[in-house]
Amino acid sequence: MNKLSREEVEHVAHLARISLEENEIEKYQIDLKMLMDDVDKIKDIKNYDEEMLITPVSHKAELRKDEVGEMLDYKEAMKNVPRSNGNFVEVPVMINE
Amino acid sequence: MSNYLDLSIQEINKLLKEKQIKPIDLVNECFDRIEKNKDLNAFITLDKENAIKKAIELEGKEVDNPLFGIPIALKDNIITKDLRTTCASRMLENFIPIYNATVVKKLIEKNMIIIGKCNMDEFAMGSTSRTSYFGAPLNPWNKERVSGGSSGGSVVAVASRQIPLTLGSDTGGSIRQPSSYCGVVGMKPTYGRVSRYGLVPYASSLDQIGPVSRNVYENALLLNIIAGKDELDLTSSRKEVEDYTRLIGEDIKGMKIAVPNYFMSDIVDKEIKDKVNEIIELLKEKGATIDYIDIDFIENAVTIYQIIVMAEASSNLARFDGIRYGYSCENPKDMEDLYKRTRQEGFGTEVKRRIMVGSYLLSGENANVYYNKALQIRDDLKKSFEKAFEKYDLIIGPNATTVAYGINAKLDDPRQTFFDDALVMPTNMAGLPGMNVPIGFNNENMPIGLQIIGNSFEEAKMYKLAAFIEKELNLNLDPRGENNG
Repeated sequence: MNKLSREEVEHVAHLARISLEENEIEKYQIDLKMLMDDVDKIKDIKNYDEEMLITPVSHKAELRKDEVGEMLDYKEAMKNVPRSNGNFVEVPVMINE
Repeated sequence: MSNYLDLSIQEINKLLKEKQIKPIDLVNECFDRIEKNKDLNAFITLDKENAIKKAIELEGKEVDNPLFGIPIALKDNIITKDLRTTCASRMLENFIPIYNATVVKKLIEKNMIIIGKCNMDEFAMGSTSRTSYFGAPLNPWNKERVSGGSSGGSVVAVASRQIPLTLGSDTGGSIRQPSSYCGVVGMKPTYGRVSRYGLVPYASSLDQIGPVSRNVYENALLLNIIAGKDELDLTSSRKEVEDYTRLIGEDIKGMKIAVPNYFMSDIVDKEIKDKVNEIIELLKEKGATIDYIDIDFIENAVTIYQIIVMAEASSNLARFDGIRYGYSCENPKDMEDLYKRTRQEGFGTEVKRRIMVGSYLLSGENANVYYNKALQIRDDLKKSFEKAFEKYDLIIGPNATTVAYGINAKLDDPRQTFFDDALVMPTNMAGLPGMNVPIGFNNENMPIGLQIIGNSFEEAKMYKLAAFIEKELNLNLDPRGENNG
């Protein structure tokens, strides 16, 4: 069966910042290949012109006035943080001495 | 137990106004029905305590609008302050939002009563709701079949008459396709008609919130209150909100309707095409004109959808990092480990697949080869639709290529979910409104739906045609035992 190499799967998993178990790698070698072959069909489609549609809105983008509005309560904002220490969000050590 | 929830919204409204019933009667009945239909797995989280509190609060208030006191439930990707919002994912299993989505604020302003949150595909990625971390909802017409997706729970809840109205979201058919599988009315409004503020984003340039209901009129009533400009959503439109019920009941004579040839091609089951053809004959007989047309690039919609949706999803879901909210892996040894294991353990297979392909499509030179090219063809597809709408009022066809299939069928091919939505995703590409109206059943008594596509911001015209068809067919769309004729 047509499939991606281990390295290719590990590469896209890294791009997406996802770890994979051994059995997952095998499954994705096939699954991702099927999807990638499908999206490759785009290369054969002949477009009218180069114009792109990024978002289907026709109105002009309006920005809000740059002024202080309603703010989140501090305690509320921290409510869903998985690891915190006092008023701080905790993350693993980034720089070693 | 009473059966007020079998009445129309207008009848319920009259009883509330005349004080023959109270909102609490509706809430109690609703929870009773939910309890009896537990096996359908339509809900992820219920909020009985607050719903009862709200209902009692409303007793002292004037019944000032058609949806006052009506119970409603929301797809679980629409955030609700202090009420768990999971997106049917382990990643958000314990997530309690700290603010309300704009649509939620609007429902509360109209004194609707929020009952709970509906089951769905994880992060709305799927066409059967089987990717839900909480198990799939079941089709009330046959519990061994899928509900469709991704708004499966929202649709099942209404179809099984647990609740009269729900909200879903539609990125590539996620309101219309399950509505077609379960025999309810579902509307994906024009992109920008309803604020997306507080809708957990999947593919931001395609996502839109819309109403699910038992009938056309009630669907329009709900759109009336959720539509409109929102300062918190740049893409929401200032275009005036009209009364979407205003054309319902009008004659369809002289309406110009197009049927794309692609919609009646071999990819669609014969039984479905036969049913759609019956509708075409009916509409001709009643004075509408029907032409078969080609819409350039419509058959490429699946390919460009796959690229745009996976690219936007990979970017949107990058926010789940295990740091600020949501699931976080145990004992991360460094930042990289925190990101990678959190996402490995927190996301399901379908989500991981899409994020990985999406990241690949956006990396380096691929962005030009795939994403930019997809956006170019998307523009061409939109132009083809625009050309059609210069001549026609509406476009119709089937919503789905098949009826709802077996709960364990078609699980092997990761592309299946995209094929299931081949007929509904072109409208999302062009930002157009699309809806499902039930038009009958196949020989196994599974519902079949008609897709109606309108020009931008012409939802009222779509409701007019849908209501006309609904009245002419007068189908019994209630799947419950003896009521089902």
